[in-house]
Amino acid sequence: MKKILLSVLLSAPLWVLGQGFQVNLQGQKQIGMAGAGSALALDEASVFYNPGAVSFLEKNSVSAGVNPLLFKSAFKQTGSNVTENVKNKIAPPFEFYAVWGPKSNKWKLGLGVYTPFGGLVDWGNDWSGRYALTSLNLKAIYFQPTLSIKITDRIGIGAGFVYNHGDVNLQRALPVNFPDGRSGHATLEGTGKGYGWNAGLYIKTLSNISFALVHKSKVITKLDNGTAEFDVPGSLRSSFPAGNTFSAELPLPSTTSLGVGIPLSQSTTLAFDASWVQWHIYQDLSFDYASNTPALADTKSARNYRDGSSFKLGINHQASEKLALRAGVGYALSPVQDGYVTPEAPDADRYILSAGLGYTPTRHFEVNASFFFEDVKSRKQRNIETGLDGTFKTLVYAPGISLTYKW
Amino acid sequence: MVGEFKMKKYILNSFIAAAILFAAACKPEIETPAGTTAGQANFSKYIAVGNSLTSGYADGGLYLEGQKVAYPNLIAAKMSSVGGGAFTSPFFNEDRSNGSGYLSLSALVNGSPTLTQVTDKLAYRDAAKHLDKYSSEIQNLGIPGMRVDLSFDPTLTFSAANPFFERLLTDAQVGKTNYFQYIQGRNHTFFSIWLGNNDVLGYALNGAVTVPGDPTTVLTDKVTFSSLYANLLNALTAGGQKGIVATIPDVTAIPYFNTVKPSLLLAAAKASNPAAQAVFIQTGTGAVRVATDEDLIRLPFQSAGLFGQGTIPYGLHPLNPIANSWVLDKDEVIKVKDYVNSYNSSIKSIATSKGLAIADTYAYFNQVKAGVVVQGIGINAAFISGGAFSLDGIHLTPRGNAVIANVFIDAINAKYGSTIPTVDVTQYRGVKFPDSK
Repeated sequence: MKKILLSVLLSAPLWVLGQGFQVNLQGQKQIGMAGAGSALALDEASVFYNPGAVSFLEKNSVSAGVNPLLFKSAFKQTGSNVTENVKNKIAPPFEFYAVWGPKSNKWKLGLGVYTPFGGLVDWGNDWSGRYALTSLNLKAIYFQPTLSIKITDRIGIGAGFVYNHGDVNLQRALPVNFPDGRSGHATLEGTGKGYGWNAGLYIKTLSNISFALVHKSKVITKLDNGTAEFDVPGSLRSSFPAGNTFSAELPLPSTTSLGVGIPLSQSTTLAFDASWVQWHIYQDLSFDYASNTPALADTKSARNYRDGSSFKLGINHQASEKLALRAGVGYALSPVQDGYVTPEAPDADRYILSAGLGYTPTRHFEVNASFFFEDVKSRKQRNIETGLDGTFKTLVYAPGISLTYKW
Repeated sequence: MVGEFKMKKYILNSFIAAAILFAAACKPEIETPAGTTAGQANFSKYIAVGNSLTSGYADGGLYLEGQKVAYPNLIAAKMSSVGGGAFTSPFFNEDRSNGSGYLSLSALVNGSPTLTQVTDKLAYRDAAKHLDKYSSEIQNLGIPGMRVDLSFDPTLTFSAANPFFERLLTDAQVGKTNYFQYIQGRNHTFFSIWLGNNDVLGYALNGAVTVPGDPTTVLTDKVTFSSLYANLLNALTAGGQKGIVATIPDVTAIPYFNTVKPSLLLAAAKASNPAAQAVFIQTGTGAVRVATDEDLIRLPFQSAGLFGQGTIPYGLHPLNPIANSWVLDKDEVIKVKDYVNSYNSSIKSIATSKGLAIADTYAYFNQVKAGVVVQGIGINAAFISGGAFSLDGIHLTPRGNAVIANVFIDAINAKYGSTIPTVDVTQYRGVKFPDSK
């Protein structure tokens, strides 16, 4: 007689990307300076920060580093007296770089493997936002072969091709109950790929003040044939067929950065970066399920992101021949508009503080360490789509270390 | 050189150690600006006056799981952080937890539900279906079937006739008291009252047919309602107590009246007999006519096994229309709505004159009818899938109770400047779906 329509169960969004998913941890020296340094030919991480500066590196080198990241987010429902916290899980953003070119030549080749986007958030299966999200594990790994050329003694250009391998596992509870009262559960898992590029210009003026202009293109990452698993009571199985798959598209935005490097003295350099992250490409998120039912329709959720931006100021001080000290401050403006904040990326404007040091025991080896801290402002929100109503507050801690071999 | 190397290694090590310690220690904090206060209210002894909704009745029965999540119990639990005391309810025993018995959803085939009566662990103490007595003092005073007019039952017989009332009374009280007397003398500091629904529902649920000699099917006179309601509030505020009243939902906002629609019946009839032309009903005036979706057919008709039966197919021919008692026809709907509006304006004006908080459940259920999204859960007034209403199509699921508890809490906080925390709706279930196919 009357069909049970459950489409409302899935009308809510399944994921969203935010500034929170842009991971600004791609080189220990730059991290120590809050992420500034595109206008400095500091090290092999310039493959990411500015391919144009790579040809100005004096040595060939390989390096590998990791930044165990702790994303500590808390949520308090509006009107509630209970604060809920994400579980302590450590995400491992990493970076690997190699730079090589014949000595005293005008070009260098580079390779970068790094993680510019990602998120690891696990709120648990019982928290009050579980019908919006229980956990998300998102990783984007960029592979970037790069060529950099010194056009003159003071101008370098470089460009790299980007291949992205993306992994996503997203879970949420479904508001249908089993006979024992527990909720249903949805798990979407898949891998995807996308392509893009990264190009930069490096200019060193006669006063030794340097400038950078870098553009990292958007990378539209396509997920095909991801698995969509729905744990629902047997009587609803026909509405959520087993063995279902989905496809989706993740638009990872382009970033344009302007950088300035100012030598304050022989041993001290100031770096400033302003970045414009073109999140406006993220207007909606669509899921296309292989099998549709009246309860499981394809979804298209409005995101309406605006562009985000960040401003970072860092200082690098060579305390001795072997020891370098770094510090930085920054501020980032969120691309997420009111009404679109979600528990997977509880985004808001944020402050950045960082410190770092480098130690060079021998001519060939270098160790760099950094500590990166973000204070994401508290944000009270009612999500337009899920009705999730409460205040988010997030702190991010990421200590990091890298090893470099130079020759 | 060696010394310098050691020192720098030490710096590096302490740097990393400090960083890790710092990260582990620092948790984000979220301040609650309003703090914790009872405001101008005193929640130390809260009593809840009402009917089945207040008692936790659900799925066509009163049983322990429903009692535990009745909205007053959810509110009382939250009051504890702002000076609320213990809150006692007439719970059934664990071993007789199914109380009066209730409906469960045993199958769902192509979207058609099969409802089955739960018959184990019942709490009947005799063959006449009297329920187990509960004699300790209680604060959840909700009694299924209670009405404003019958609260003042001059014959005092309703206390014996209503098994949910009878179980709360001593043998000496049975047949010798009424609800108005029963709720008094409880030394409360705060109260809620959600009463009056049955003054119109009892009539509507019987298809707007008053059964002679059955006071539960009477439509309470508007003026009588107003004066009796004022008496109730006078008694409850006799010691200057603060409290909250709730309005009565529109009857068309519940699945009991919005699930079985003439258009759906006709579509089902046409599927098996393309010759079916229209659905016929007998109206309250005795006239027979073609039904439209403005005529509301009661939910149990779905499983009554009547439709289309007989040589003159039931409900599909003017000579064999759907009987008046199954139907709230559109004129009866108008009448019932008019009474609800009248009751509600009385409730609101009396409450306002006494400075009480008002939980406007009438307005809220109208929102639910259109559909709301609460903390990621879509909730609406659809039968079974809507999540708010239990399997009887009238009473609330645990999720529905949680949502309504917050309507009360928000109204109390707004009126008295208190900060009773809200209930986390996501912790409460909707309808239980069978796990078998």
